[in-house]
Amino acid sequence: MNEARPPSANERIKEASEFLRGTLAEGLRDTVTGAVVEDDAQLVKFHGMYLQDDRDLRTERTKKKMEKAFAFMIRVRISGGVCTPRQWLALDRVARHYGNGTMRLTTRQTVQLHGVIKSNLKTTLKAMDDVVMSSIAACGDVNRNVMCNPNPFQSRAHAMALELARAISDHLTPRTPAYREIWLDGERIAGGEDDVVEPIYGRTYLPRKFKTVVAVPPSNDVDVYAQDLGFIAVVDERGDVLGWNVTAGGGMGMTHGEPETYPRTADTLGFCRTADALAFAEAVVTVQRDWGDRSNRKHARLKYTIEDRGLAAFRAEVERRAGKPLQPARPVRFTSTGDRYGWTEGENGRAHLTLFVENGRLREPALTGLRRIAELHDGDFRLTANQNLVVANVAPGKRVEVERLVAEHGLNGTLSGLRRNSMACVALPTCGLALAEAERYLPDLITALEASVAAHGLAEDDIVIRMTGCPNGCARPYLAEIGLVGKGPGRYNLYLGAAFDGSRLSKLYAEDLDHDGIVAALDPLFAAYAAGRQAGERFGDFSIRAGFVAATGNGRDFHANVKVR
Amino acid sequence: MPLSPIPSTAPFAEEDIEILNRVVGPATPLQRAWLAGFLAGIDASAAPLQPAAPAQPAEPLTILYATESGNSEKLAGDVAKAARKLGLKPTLVDMADLELAALAGSKRLVVIAATWGEGEPPARAAHVYAALMGDGAPRLDGVEYGVLALGDTAYAEFCAIGKAIDARLAALGGKRVVDRVDCDLDFAGPAARWISSALKALEPPAAERGTVISVDFGSKSVPAADHGPVEAEIVEHINLSSSRSDKETIHLELAFDGPAPAYKPGDSLDVYPQNDPAAVDALLKAAGLSSDGALRDDLIKTRDIATLSTKTVETYAATTGHQYVKELVAAGGVRDWIAGRQIVDLIEHYPIALTAEQLRGLTRPLAPRAYSIASSRREVGEAAHLLVTAVRYQTHGRARKGVASNFVAERLKKGGRIRVKLKPNRHFALPAADRDAIMVGPGTGVAPFRAFVQERRAAGAPGRNWLFFGDRRFTHDFLYQLEWQDALKDGALSRLDVAFSRDTPEKIYVQHRMWEQRRDLVDWIERGASFYVCGDKGMGKDVRATLVRCFADVKAQAPELAEQSVAALERDRRYLQDVY
Repeated sequence: MNEARPPSANERIKEASEFLRGTLAEGLRDTVTGAVVEDDAQLVKFHGMYLQDDRDLRTERTKKKMEKAFAFMIRVRISGGVCTPRQWLALDRVARHYGNGTMRLTTRQTVQLHGVIKSNLKTTLKAMDDVVMSSIAACGDVNRNVMCNPNPFQSRAHAMALELARAISDHLTPRTPAYREIWLDGERIAGGEDDVVEPIYGRTYLPRKFKTVVAVPPSNDVDVYAQDLGFIAVVDERGDVLGWNVTAGGGMGMTHGEPETYPRTADTLGFCRTADALAFAEAVVTVQRDWGDRSNRKHARLKYTIEDRGLAAFRAEVERRAGKPLQPARPVRFTSTGDRYGWTEGENGRAHLTLFVENGRLREPALTGLRRIAELHDGDFRLTANQNLVVANVAPGKRVEVERLVAEHGLNGTLSGLRRNSMACVALPTCGLALAEAERYLPDLITALEASVAAHGLAEDDIVIRMTGCPNGCARPYLAEIGLVGKGPGRYNLYLGAAFDGSRLSKLYAEDLDHDGIVAALDPLFAAYAAGRQAGERFGDFSIRAGFVAATGNGRDFHANVKVR
Repeated sequence: MPLSPIPSTAPFAEEDIEILNRVVGPATPLQRAWLAGFLAGIDASAAPLQPAAPAQPAEPLTILYATESGNSEKLAGDVAKAARKLGLKPTLVDMADLELAALAGSKRLVVIAATWGEGEPPARAAHVYAALMGDGAPRLDGVEYGVLALGDTAYAEFCAIGKAIDARLAALGGKRVVDRVDCDLDFAGPAARWISSALKALEPPAAERGTVISVDFGSKSVPAADHGPVEAEIVEHINLSSSRSDKETIHLELAFDGPAPAYKPGDSLDVYPQNDPAAVDALLKAAGLSSDGALRDDLIKTRDIATLSTKTVETYAATTGHQYVKELVAAGGVRDWIAGRQIVDLIEHYPIALTAEQLRGLTRPLAPRAYSIASSRREVGEAAHLLVTAVRYQTHGRARKGVASNFVAERLKKGGRIRVKLKPNRHFALPAADRDAIMVGPGTGVAPFRAFVQERRAAGAPGRNWLFFGDRRFTHDFLYQLEWQDALKDGALSRLDVAFSRDTPEKIYVQHRMWEQRRDLVDWIERGASFYVCGDKGMGKDVRATLVRCFADVKAQAPELAEQSVAALERDRRYLQDVY
């Protein structure tokens, strides 16, 4: 449909890259700059890295006769967010030695290391490879880290969900040997036919990023409706997985002032058996590969492909490629998107401890505490889609010791309902897209709002609040009951009315608010909610019933019926 | 009417005789004597091995100097100047170039020897010094000599090299005709007095002397003209270190009221600092002299209020009679006690009320501090750039600050003024334009190489330039990064290898990069490259040792042979260092 328009610059870069090699190897040998050349900066994303610079330092650098303070963000690929203590220790070590001394748990169940300078990239990736971890396809126009509900107390359903997540991840991981060649000093493997090197992707990969999750109701912690592709477990009374509802076409990103861009919740395509799940996953990916818009990157996500072609046509093509029809979707019911904190008992006699990690940022002394735990732990670690951490499958004999280390390193604490349901993206100073602060500011905003909710008797109520520094939506702000999206330094748009279970988008309520403006805007809404809510009514639902905002049906509806205060 | 003293038979053309008569005729006796000396000197300098005037042969004097910072060399020049006035024929010899056997042929010998750091000889002279101290040293029976020692009482082994040479010359049969004097940083006065008494002792009998007046031929025997300090305006004052750096490294751009001092790449500027008023106040408070404004002003501007030497403690004991200090001196504990301490610690630890004169007597004159010039006049015009890292550390529970570096970093501001003086360093000059240069300059050691690269770019010198730079962190300490990137692009720099010690758990230094690049390094040197190293003294040693290892490995040489390869480079003045 876009034949008339030329491919975007990124398409040209991918095409010329020889399966993601570009000139990265040469760029690494140039030790006088911390950057790589522009095209390579696009390609390196496919290897799981972003070239960034410390924006706090930008103004001083030229005067000091220094280039920008370049460093890389490395995003690890951790299918389902599950890693072993040995892997955790390896990440902890590279974070301290080569990163900025922190680990960042992301909204997509993985770990980001920030501040890794170019000369340390290979050492870092080799250290990860030693524990069978990789960053391939953690970013870029490919299927990224596959998320999976980590609810370890539902051991059987989770085990199946994790198995599916890993299978999808493995199936959709790029096959190019470039990663091994460039980062792990592997032998250069001569190129072959496109369909031999990359049987699923070809030489230009996907038109845009692609995100896949596996959800296990009643928890929608992975925010299945925010993803390009989702599998929702259909579980019977005994806890066995019967199969999966397949969803497609969710996505958060949009651009301020461009109403043709919008967030969208995914549609449910139908139901499939576990044995067919991989075929449907591949079919969705290849349809998007062939139908997606490769000339306009702001219109390239699967959500626009489905909007443009229509859901019926898209489903028919997926079924044709998978070689079988989807069954009608089965009823599923989600209750929330949040995590359940504290200890839970698993079905296997082991216990699991979910720890709140504010905005996913782990620094000292928390890092040391978790390192000590990892040194004695024989279960695993599970990263949640809410930037939190589960110390999972703790042996009964080790629970006391784990508890002691948690207390000693301040890994626990009493949290308000607002804070325990909060998320923020990284934003400043490292993210090149950020228009405003997020991670560094949200904790302070919540402190201010806590006074407000407490005054109205809502301190213990779960209200989902999320903040991002730009409208691309890494922390999924349009699915939060209170969504704050950066507009400019110190300025945010306020969105309200999303569903607590992650099934309905929010709508713009007020624009360009500063700190005081946010607090002043929300305080009367909290007051009204406290006074007028019905039993069990969530803040997001109340916001619509009370007329703060109109309900958003889906994507195209997101910018409609907006009455900005 | 003018007289006609030049006879018409003189071997000159008629018109020349006329000109000569016009000058010589009305000349005073002094002018004529000067002219006689001048003409005799022309021959002497044109053919230094020939007697200055055959009729009245001048007595030779060998002036041997071992220099690191250039002070000994400058004093040697002073000796030569004075010696010529006395009718002696001086020969200046850099100890680095000395053929030891030739020393036995000297009749009269003046040695000016600097001691460097913890009792070490100047680096370039180290091999000759070792030979002199060794078994192969020649007998020096009958050689009349005197030794002037330069040092710094701040170091424990004060003037150790001068002392050792003095003793060694005597042991080899030399005849000491003047007692050694050991000079501290304020050497000018004592050195001048020593020179005059030494020359008096070494002076030949009157009958052996000529009557010509000696003439100073300036640049031939003495380093560049010695102007006094000049004022400069700070036109740029930038901390090049990132705000996240542990360090503060100031890039200073100086403008002069007239032309800039005639510096060459490799030269230094002496910076005349002032003390931190807060440090002076702390000292005055400790001494009970806080109310003495005149003393405060004097201490800030002219005195070294920090350096604590054995001598200082002894003076303190003697002038105050402090019982505990006397006991410390008597017990021989001073040397250990002063390590890492300053005058203020002495007074605070052994408090006693002092008079202004007593306090002043504990201090030395405030010496200038030399910084390598980081610019080339060919690129920056009548300006000079300096690169200064603020020296800050902690000892005995007190924060310490380097006087000059913190004067620059903390108290100089853009638009302010500073006193500086050119300090030439002809031992650290660029090679011929077509020769390659390898430059190892971590930290502020990179300063002269910025001058080198600027100079060679402006001159269009075809020789290649290879820089090794290092510091703590790539992101926060890469001094002049953008300039080096430009220099690589425009070809002024052929190669740049960098080493950052704090970016990885295992520390990486420039010498590691040298080792990695050893094949190319040896290849460059074998193709005639000069090797330069500037910066910290310890680094300088490591770099030299690494170069020896590089030769041993690449050329498959035994360590002793590789050592000789590097020593040969030093003798050829192709291994040059400026370390501090």
